[in-house]
Amino acid sequence: MSVRTQEAPPRDRVPVEAAAAPGPPPRRAPAGRKGSLPYLLLLPALALTAVFLGYPLVTNGMLSFQNLNMTQLIQHLTEWNGVTNYTDTLGSETFWRVTLRSVVFTAVNVVVIIVVGTLVGLLLARLGPRMRLLLSVGLVLAWAMPVIAATTVYQWLFAQRFGVVNWVLAELGFGSMADYNWTGSQLSTFFVISLLLVWTSVPFVAINLYAATTTIAKELYEAAALDGAGAWQSFKSVTFPFLKPFLMVATFLEVIWIFKAFPHVFAVNEGGPDRLTETLPVYAFVEGVGNQHYGTGAAISVLTILILLALMSYYLRLVLRQEDAEESENEGKKG
Amino acid sequence: MRRSLPGRIWPNVTALVLFAAFAFPVYWMFNTAFKPSGQIISENPVWFPTSPTLEHFRTAVAAEHFWALVRNSVTVTVLAVGLSLLVALFASFALARMRFKGRKAIVLTFMVAQMAPWEVMVIAIYMIVRDADMLNSLVPLTLFYTVMVLPLTIITLRGYVAAVPKDLEESAMVDGCTRLQAFRRVIFPLLAPGLMATSLFGFITAWNEFPMVLILNKDAEAQTLPLWLSKFQTAFGDDWGATMAAASLFAVPILLLFLYLQRKAVAGLTSGAVKG
Amino acid sequence: MIRKRSRHNGLLAAAGVAVLLVNLAACGSDDDKSGPDSFKGQTLTLWAMDGSTPKQWTKDVKAAFEKKTGAKLKLEVQQWNGIQQKITTALSESDPPDVIEVGNTQTPAYARTGGLADLGDLKKGLGKNWTPSLNKSAVYDGKQYAAPWFAVNRTVIYNKKIWAEAGIKGTPRTRQEFFDDLEQIDKKTDAEPLYMPGQNWYFLDGLLIGRHADLVKKKGGKWVSNLSDPKVGKAMEIYKKYASYSKAPKDKDEATPQQAEVFAKGRTGAFIGLSWEAATAIEANKKLEKDIGYFTIPGETAGKPEGVFLGGSNLAVAAGSEKQELAKEFLKIALSDKYEGALAKESGVIPNKAPLQSNLKGNPAAEAAAPAVEGGGLTPLIPEWGAVENPPNPIKTYMTSVLNGKSHRAAAKGVEGEMNKRLSQKQ
Repeated sequence: MSVRTQEAPPRDRVPVEAAAAPGPPPRRAPAGRKGSLPYLLLLPALALTAVFLGYPLVTNGMLSFQNLNMTQLIQHLTEWNGVTNYTDTLGSETFWRVTLRSVVFTAVNVVVIIVVGTLVGLLLARLGPRMRLLLSVGLVLAWAMPVIAATTVYQWLFAQRFGVVNWVLAELGFGSMADYNWTGSQLSTFFVISLLLVWTSVPFVAINLYAATTTIAKELYEAAALDGAGAWQSFKSVTFPFLKPFLMVATFLEVIWIFKAFPHVFAVNEGGPDRLTETLPVYAFVEGVGNQHYGTGAAISVLTILILLALMSYYLRLVLRQEDAEESENEGKKG
Repeated sequence: MRRSLPGRIWPNVTALVLFAAFAFPVYWMFNTAFKPSGQIISENPVWFPTSPTLEHFRTAVAAEHFWALVRNSVTVTVLAVGLSLLVALFASFALARMRFKGRKAIVLTFMVAQMAPWEVMVIAIYMIVRDADMLNSLVPLTLFYTVMVLPLTIITLRGYVAAVPKDLEESAMVDGCTRLQAFRRVIFPLLAPGLMATSLFGFITAWNEFPMVLILNKDAEAQTLPLWLSKFQTAFGDDWGATMAAASLFAVPILLLFLYLQRKAVAGLTSGAVKG
Repeated sequence: MIRKRSRHNGLLAAAGVAVLLVNLAACGSDDDKSGPDSFKGQTLTLWAMDGSTPKQWTKDVKAAFEKKTGAKLKLEVQQWNGIQQKITTALSESDPPDVIEVGNTQTPAYARTGGLADLGDLKKGLGKNWTPSLNKSAVYDGKQYAAPWFAVNRTVIYNKKIWAEAGIKGTPRTRQEFFDDLEQIDKKTDAEPLYMPGQNWYFLDGLLIGRHADLVKKKGGKWVSNLSDPKVGKAMEIYKKYASYSKAPKDKDEATPQQAEVFAKGRTGAFIGLSWEAATAIEANKKLEKDIGYFTIPGETAGKPEGVFLGGSNLAVAAGSEKQELAKEFLKIALSDKYEGALAKESGVIPNKAPLQSNLKGNPAAEAAAPAVEGGGLTPLIPEWGAVENPPNPIKTYMTSVLNGKSHRAAAKGVEGEMNKRLSQKQ
């Protein structure tokens, strides 16, 4: 939730570590009890992850090389079929269309979420305490709304008959919207899905961004004002650089969340109409579980994971570099 | 700061509009849940439930095994969040405070783990749990939910742990505390807001989880509330009153938790995070 | 006394077996290998679909079953949504539901998987005179994989009050008369003449059966789509005409929202549905009961009703169930003439034996349904068919595209690839 802190520690830690450096701890952890302590502390987390995430991942990978349909599942048969599931999937035009759709869908939503979230966050910073509390409550309500409840509510808001959205649009003079079927076309379905996603995701960005702005020292603005900077310039020279690391992390988290958003997309119209709003996770589900071709479904899910990893490789590199910098920084201080 | 009148007005007006936009769906859910059916399917929406009724809530609660599902949901969520916090606390302590071989790889592992698309792995998970003869049990659910929220919990908590000044811990130890005591008396209170903030994510994930419990627990008494909620639409057709009552009941615990924890969380966030 | 014995008391238990065996023999059961005492303490799980098990029937059958076997019956009502996956995974488990209601169109697919137990001996005894047309779907590769339970076909369910409001007397005997009536309701009242969502695919199937249009054909030893057949287009044209009297969504089926719930609001002239849907409507709006009427879906000419899909359900026993004998005991009770007749009477469904149809007398819904049975039909009875109906069902997609203005040819072309893919899927 507080992605902020993810970027924060290194900068904060430096002076602390520096202060601690002259103390008794040796430069390198010696072998023995102390040396194994971090591993002991990490053991439960790693073990749980290995068993409950690693093992299913491996199993899923193995299923993707099998011919696994109703019969095989029921009779517990293992029928290896090489890379057939992969060649079938990669050779189908649908898969590539869904992939492209997923990427575009993710990009559009993430951009909207980050931009709107930033604007709302900056607005929060500018409001008086009472209005800020009011808006925060509104944001928290949207943020906290459980997905399953939220999708149900959106279906009701956008219901063709007696849905309040259609009524409002009709009252505003769009008479043709009185009985509009929102799930009738690809674009309108995506509109509802995106609105739902933006609605649930913006509060996270806005609230955390606001929290981050409160830590910017006032002196920085004063200095900028002395230099004759206007509002936009002080944003550019003071606020933005400060928020940049946060925005980076938030963007990456949102990419992950939107790309793998399943209940939102599935609940609104089950990937319809005409399978035109299926994103990769929904496609994997429909092909695998829905059509009971579990092997093919597993192959699609493996590909989905690989695509997500590829999309996130930049982020992961960034994380690694940051860890590197941190480590060498600490080494440097200590050495 | 001096601002012109419009300069003072527009942020407030925008805030009001935004508040309405964000709160409206939640309001509409409660509004519909309390309205008598006649007002729900009226040609002109009824904006306030002028003659509120509990009829829809009675329909919603009357569903078979409702209380068993409530119990299951609460059990699984609380256990998963508790377990993940505990495990994450150890892990984040190691990652934030200690230097050791393989640290980078481990951080990377959790980063990648956080990306796992669980919904597309349900069949693999199903087969594992089936072959372990653990279907219709809350144990695998709890453990899977724990791991589902673990990576982000570790990554976030690491930031909070790192932000606790190390000299505090050391001075406590100088005062004769053991490392464990130092942790309990000095660090833990400082971490409390961080723990609360991170637990929110766990709560919402575990409370909401749907595809896995759908396939693992077919036994009606071993299911959780998301399944109950999703059944409403098929079983009750377009009985939006009952559906919204069910959605309200489902959402209220999380909404309250958020409203309660959010202030602490943001406070924790701002104090726990960097100061410039 | 015997009932209360401790589980560890071997002697008394043995005595109990003996006593109850005698009792069972006295009941005239032909199954004397397993005494009911071996069933005591067991629980038989039955999965039935939403709407299949009427209250009184369920109560009576449960009581009879529990009395005869000493076991408990646990009924778990299932929703149609996602049922195929649920049954598949359940059949793979070590403790599956023992008796499962399987839709007749889906039975061949499950029969092929080996997940259903062979009920050959049941057929020889209880099932000697099961109606052949209903039993057809339960047989695969010459083996009996399920027992036919009941069949249903659709009728027109209408609101007499609205028809009176529109000044219509009597019920239509031809399709044209039906359309004229709907026209009149549209003009003279503010009600919606007909509730017909765009994807009521079983109604379309009836229209197809009425035109002898086939959905699949064999080509080079493989089943392929026959959707582009002009006969299918003709049937769809009629469907489109029906749908033009409705404001229902074009991309939803009759279950979202439940058409009976819409009808229950009292401002819909008619809908085409199953008799139990009328019960649903009455449950939602008691006042409607006296206004509900039924008539056979009229065909081209008077006296020859429209084709209908003979939807139905079979009861199957999971091959993985450890309670094979108990499950068969249950089937013997539930499908006995007594309870099969009671089911027909209470639900107005077509029973699995012709003589039992006398139970339908006096049930207006069933009487309206009966004339169409003769011209009724099914979906293609091939194991591959189950995959076609998996959501998103390409035929439903086809229907929505036609209703949205695409030509029959174009719409059929748009989904035939998907249909062929599903028909040729590895099993």
